[in-house]
Amino acid sequence: MSGRLVSAAYAAGSFAVLLLVWEAVCRYFEVPEFYIPAPSRIAVTLVRGMPLYAANLGVTLYSTLASFVLALILGVLLGTLVSEVRFLDRTLHPVLIALQAMPRIALAPIIIVWFGFGPESKIALGTFTAFFPIFVNTAQGMRATESEQIALMRSLKASRWQIFRMIRLPNALPYLFAGASIAVIFAMLAVIVGEFLGANRGMGFLIISQSSQMDTAGVMATVFILSAIGVLFHYGLQYLRDRLLFWAAQGEVAGNPL
Amino acid sequence: MAAGSASAPKAADAHADILVLRGLAKTYRALNGSEIVALSPTSLGIRDGEFVSLVGPSGCGKTTLLNLISGLIQPSAGQILFDGRLVDRPNGEMSLVFQRPVLLPWRRIIGNVLLPAHVMRLKPRAEYVARAHELLRLLGLGGFENAYPRELSGGMQQRAAIARALVYDTKVLLMDEPFGALDAMTREDLNIELMRIWELTKRTIVFVTHNIAEAVLLSDRIVVMTPRPGQVREILTVDLPRPRSLETMVAPRFGEIAGHIRGLLHHRPAGEAPAR
Repeated sequence: MSGRLVSAAYAAGSFAVLLLVWEAVCRYFEVPEFYIPAPSRIAVTLVRGMPLYAANLGVTLYSTLASFVLALILGVLLGTLVSEVRFLDRTLHPVLIALQAMPRIALAPIIIVWFGFGPESKIALGTFTAFFPIFVNTAQGMRATESEQIALMRSLKASRWQIFRMIRLPNALPYLFAGASIAVIFAMLAVIVGEFLGANRGMGFLIISQSSQMDTAGVMATVFILSAIGVLFHYGLQYLRDRLLFWAAQGEVAGNPL
Repeated sequence: MAAGSASAPKAADAHADILVLRGLAKTYRALNGSEIVALSPTSLGIRDGEFVSLVGPSGCGKTTLLNLISGLIQPSAGQILFDGRLVDRPNGEMSLVFQRPVLLPWRRIIGNVLLPAHVMRLKPRAEYVARAHELLRLLGLGGFENAYPRELSGGMQQRAAIARALVYDTKVLLMDEPFGALDAMTREDLNIELMRIWELTKRTIVFVTHNIAEAVLLSDRIVVMTPRPGQVREILTVDLPRPRSLETMVAPRFGEIAGHIRGLLHHRPAGEAPAR
């Protein structure tokens, strides 16, 4: 416990030193504000613009979470089907792997043509991007089950459903979590790129309009908020993982970031 | 012929073979298309309540034989009869113990022990819960019911796996090198406990091991197997009196039997490559 506190103190200290040096450099060399604003300037912009940021953050968060949930449902469903049904493994799996190799963000302009300027196009792009880490990890996790666990269940005349529910699904959970923590970041990235390209609300849209007005401090404030949200997602999932998967060794399963 | 006075009641019921293997054989097809004989045709009857060990080096087909008996894999030839009925898939009447404990890490020890009752929906539940607690106590795991597997040592985990195999009513226990991964001291402790439980529960045990001393200590009969191709070399009766203990291992007769088995395993026909 105290070890953790000490680590936190070191981390906070590093950030404080970084910010102080940044502030000092900006002031001493009189760096133009539109080029690199001082941290104090960014903080003031952030506080003054709160209502604006809150409104746009709501839009981006909504699209991100909707993408994540859709990707989770589709990824777990298809990942399970591919690992359970041999026919789908041989037909659907190669197609999905080929799709995965595609730079999915590059499809953003077309997806905006298909789904319009509203949140729908961001959710479509976000889902498409976040789907793959969940799908791949679920399929991999379902297969990672030890053959002896299956033999044990078969010796008890377990049904296929029992083997799935009592053995394969719990075995896949650590993999699923690793996939989900990547997917949620992917979803947010995709939504922001979507908002860059065609939107009239959201954090991505805000960044574009701020930078067109040379409001660099504003852009940095927006990015700061997005980073904070990313950190929040990360720790939220980690908390859930520690709660649900206390039985799995820590860091046993690496993610599959593609 | 009789294995000793203590097991005489079991031997008297000689016609009751719980397991009958008739010409059982298994061949696999290798990746290059050639056939590998994992088990040459084997016939064997195992009496109800008997303790039979399958002994041999790796690759002699003893695990294959055990998997065939359990119905987990299908024979290439021959058949297995359990209580007169053909075994063509797992029948739920033979419990398995593996070399590793194979506990489910997300279930508490009590939940792992109760897994068979849970999967097979055995009723009344309270009776199985009581039996699970009793078995855990018997195996020295009293007080660990609510622990998770990773909180237990390897030997304790294997005890829990044995409790799981005993919690439901099966006539036969199939054990595949159950103590192979344990240190020598723990292994001896568990050998003694297994004998005690076997005498208490009167189950038939088919026990795979490559440890000759362990086989001689525990068994009524020993099936000695040799590799390439996997086949039964000899079936011998262990006529050491029961109850046995670790002192049994220093008896001259114990040494004779173990020496005989060692001879069978090491003296191969000329020209055959030694086991790696």
